[in-house]
Amino acid sequence: MLRRLLVFGLLAAAPAPGRAQGTAVVYGTVRDPFGGGVANASLFVPGTALRTTTGAGGRYLLAGVPAGRVEIRAVVVGYPPAVRTALLGPSDSLQLDFELRGLVVPPEDLYVSTTQPIIVTAAKRSQLLDQAVTSVALVSDTDLARRAVSTVDEAVNRAPGVLFLNGQVNIRGSSGFVEGLGSRVLLLVDGVPANQGDRGGIDWDMVPLAAVERVEVVKGAGSSLYGSAALGGVVNLITREIPLGLHGRVRATGGAYANPPSDVWRFRDYTGGLGGLDATASYGRGALRGSLTLGGRHSDGYREQDRSDQWESAGKAEWQPRPGTHVTAAGSWTSHQYQVFPTWCVLGTCDTRGQAFQPFMIDSSGRGSYTRSNKGHFAATLDRTVSTGFAWQARGSWLRTHFTDVNPDNWAVANRWGAELRGVGRNAGGRVVTAGVEAAHGDVTSDIFGDHTQNEVGPYAEAEQRIGRLRLTIGSRLDWLAVDGSERATVLSPRIGVVVPSRVGTWRASTGRGFRAPTLAERYVSTRAFGFEVIPNPSLDPETAWSFEVGNALPLRAWGRLDAALFWTEARQLLEPTFVLVVDPVTKDTVQKIQIQNVSRAQLRGLDLSLTVTPLGPAFTATVAYLLLDTRDLATDSVLAFRPRHLFTLGADYRWHALSVGGDFRYSSRVERIELEPVFGGDPRVAARVLDLRAGWERGPLAARLLVTNALNYIYNLVPRTLEPVRTFSVVLTWTY
Amino acid sequence: MIAGMRSRVVCAALVAAAVTPACNEGLRPTTCPGICGTVTYQGSLPDSLKDSTAAVLIVAYTTFPQTPADLLHFQPPIPAFVDTGGPPRRYVLQVPNGTYEWVLAVWEKKGGSLGPQSADSLLREVGFYRDAGDTTSHGTGRVHVTGTGADSINFVIDFTKMHRICNYFPPC
Repeated sequence: MLRRLLVFGLLAAAPAPGRAQGTAVVYGTVRDPFGGGVANASLFVPGTALRTTTGAGGRYLLAGVPAGRVEIRAVVVGYPPAVRTALLGPSDSLQLDFELRGLVVPPEDLYVSTTQPIIVTAAKRSQLLDQAVTSVALVSDTDLARRAVSTVDEAVNRAPGVLFLNGQVNIRGSSGFVEGLGSRVLLLVDGVPANQGDRGGIDWDMVPLAAVERVEVVKGAGSSLYGSAALGGVVNLITREIPLGLHGRVRATGGAYANPPSDVWRFRDYTGGLGGLDATASYGRGALRGSLTLGGRHSDGYREQDRSDQWESAGKAEWQPRPGTHVTAAGSWTSHQYQVFPTWCVLGTCDTRGQAFQPFMIDSSGRGSYTRSNKGHFAATLDRTVSTGFAWQARGSWLRTHFTDVNPDNWAVANRWGAELRGVGRNAGGRVVTAGVEAAHGDVTSDIFGDHTQNEVGPYAEAEQRIGRLRLTIGSRLDWLAVDGSERATVLSPRIGVVVPSRVGTWRASTGRGFRAPTLAERYVSTRAFGFEVIPNPSLDPETAWSFEVGNALPLRAWGRLDAALFWTEARQLLEPTFVLVVDPVTKDTVQKIQIQNVSRAQLRGLDLSLTVTPLGPAFTATVAYLLLDTRDLATDSVLAFRPRHLFTLGADYRWHALSVGGDFRYSSRVERIELEPVFGGDPRVAARVLDLRAGWERGPLAARLLVTNALNYIYNLVPRTLEPVRTFSVVLTWTY
Repeated sequence: MIAGMRSRVVCAALVAAAVTPACNEGLRPTTCPGICGTVTYQGSLPDSLKDSTAAVLIVAYTTFPQTPADLLHFQPPIPAFVDTGGPPRRYVLQVPNGTYEWVLAVWEKKGGSLGPQSADSLLREVGFYRDAGDTTSHGTGRVHVTGTGADSINFVIDFTKMHRICNYFPPC
C-alpha cells in the first residue's frame, strides 16, 4: 500500500510528458540474489532515451514509457543484465521487479566502462567483456531480432572471425572442412557441452533459435576450462530468461528462393518456397517459472534434392526455493528429415546440358539420398550463491543423437551423459578462483562406427589475481580419456593470461593449450568414400595446439569500440583422412584405403579486427570486421585447405521510429587449397561476396521483417561441388504478448 | 544536421563501394570448357548391337595414336558419354587448352578389359571430326582449344558405318 501511495505521489509530481496519452509508468525493485535491494542500478528501455537509476532499497520508477510491448533492462555493475518484457496500455502503471543472478563483482574491482556487456563463457563465470584474457565475439538478442534469422548457424555465421563451411563452423580458420567429422569448436548450450557423442560434430538445429537469447563466441584454445573439442574456440548458446507473468510469442516465416540465374541451370518448373511457424509460451509466478517452445519448418531447398522438414521443441523450468538458490531444468528435441544434396553434377555424372558442371543439379549416383536426424538434450542445474564471496553450481546433462542415412545406408545412435561441479570464490584482495571437475560418459551403437564407449574426467582450476590495475590469470585442466574401458590419453591444458587497462584501451595477452580427443567415429569408422574403403584406426592420439594472442579493446568515446587481436596457433597431430596401402588378407593384393591418422602439423596466425560504431546515436549502428588468416600445413609446406585468407564483414542498421533498415556484406577470398585436389582440383572456385538486406516495422506487439539474403544472387561455393544459398526472400511476422 | 546527412551519404557510399564488385563475378554457365559440339545420329542403333553395346563416348587425342597402346591415352580421363540415338545432342569434352589432332566418337563393346591387345575387339570408330580440307588417310581435323573453348566440333554417328581400330594400325 505504501508503495502504491509512493507511486501515486511520484506520478502526480511527474512532468506532463510522462502522463501524455500513449505512455505508461513502470516501477518496482531491483534485488540482489539474496533478496536485498540494489541501489544505483541502471534501468533503461533499449533503443530509446528512457533511463533511470534505483534509489535506496533498490526502488525505481520509469515514466513516459511508450504503450505497447516494451523490454526493460536492469544493469548493475558485476551482474549479467536482467531483462523483463511487458505489454503496457496507455496510462498503465505496472510493477516490474528485477532479480539479479550470479556472483557480484566487487565495485572496487571495476575500473572500466560499466556499459560493457557481461559475458559468462570465457572464464566460466560472469565478467565484463574487457576483463577476458581471450577474444570474445557477441551476438546479442538485439542482433538476433534485427537480422530475424531462422537458425542458430545463421545467427553465428556473421560474428567477427567466424565462417561456416557447409555447416562446419570455423573460428579463425580452426576447423577447415572435414564433412562434419570432428569439429575443433565446442558447442555449449547454457554452458553444457553439446557436440555429438559419436562424430564430435555440431547439430546446429539442436536448439530452436526462438529459445536463444544471445551467443558468445570465445576464440582460441579453450581447453584449460572446457577440455576436449575446445581446440579452436567455444560457442555458447545462452537461452532466454523466463520473465514473471504470462507471456507468449508467435513467429511465422514465409519466403521463396530465387530461380537459377541462367536457363541452362534450371532444374524445376516452379519457384521453391520455405516457411515456418514457432510459438513460445512462458509463465512465471513467485519461485516457479516455465517456458515451452514448439515449432516446425519446411523448405523446398534452392537446389535439386534439397527439401527438408523439421519439428523442434524446447522447454525450460526455473525454481528459486530461497534467495540465492536457483534450480534450472532445460531441454530440447528436434526431428529433422532432409534430402541430401551429395555433390553437384559434373560431366559424366548426369546430363549436364552441355555444361562442364551443373551447380543446382546432383550427381545422379546420389539420387534418393536423405537423412532422418533426431537429436535432443536435457540439463539440470543447481546454482547456489552462498555469500558475496562464494557460489557453486552442480549440473547433470544428457545428449542424444540418432541419424539414419539412406543411400548410402548408415545409422548411429549416440548418448553423452555429463556432470559438472564448479565453485567460484572471491576474496577482498581481488582474487577470483574458479575450480571444478567435469565428467562425461559417451556411447555409440552404429553399423559404421560399431559399439563403443568413451569416458572422460577433467578437473580444472583457474585463478585471477588483481595486481594494481593488472589482472593475471593462471589455470589448467587435466583430462583423462578412456575408450572401451582402457585409458587412451592424459592431457594437460594450461593457460596464462593478463589484462592491463591503459589510456589506449585495455590490453590483453594470453597463451593456452587446446586439444581434441579423436571421436569414436574417427577411431572406428568403417565405410566407403569416393570409391575407397575407409578403415578404422583405434590408436589415434588427441590433436593438440598452443594458442597465443595479444589484443586491445579500445572504446571510442561514447560512440564506438575497436577490438584488434594478433593471434598465432601451432597445432600438432592433426587428424586427417589419409590414403594408406593395405595388403588384402584374402586376395593378398596391395590396395589403397582411407584411414584417419595423426599426420598434420599446422600454423595459423593472423589479425582479427572488429569495429562497432554508433556515430549518429543509437539509431544508427555500423560494424566492420576483418580477419586476415595466414596458414601453413607444415607437413606439406603449403597453405591449409579450406582457409580463406581474407574475411571481411560490413554491417549497418538504421532505425527511424517504428521502421528499420539494414544490411550485411560478407566477403571471403577464394579458397586457395582444398583436400582431394586430384578429384576436385579442376572445379571452379570463386571468392564469396554476399549481400543481405533487411527492413523491419514494429508497432506494439506486432513486428514484421523483410529479409533478402544473398540479394545479388551471387552464385558461389565454399567447398567442392556444393552450392551456397541463392537469393532468398523471406517475411517474418512476430506477435509478442 | 548537415554533418549527419554527410555521414549518412558517406556510409551509403562505403556500402555501395563494397558491394559493387560483387556483381557478375560468381560462378557462371560455361559456354564451352574445352571441345563442344553436337552429335547427330544417322539412323538408330541396330538391333544386333543393342545387347553388346557398353557405351558410346567421345574422346580426344593431342597427337594421333601411333600404336594401339596410345589409344588408351585419351583426353579427358573421364570421356563424354553420349546416347545411342535420338535427336541431336550437345556434348562437352572438358579438356585443357591446346591442340588436339584427333577427336572422335567411339563405340565400346560390353565385356572384357580394355587394353592394347583387346582394343580392336572392343572398340569401333563411329565418327570423327574432320576439316573439310583435310586429305590425310585418317581424316584428322586439328582442333585448337583456347580460353574460350572450341565449339561446333560436330559429329554424325552412323552405326552402320563403324570402323575397326585396326584400320588405323594395319594389318587387320
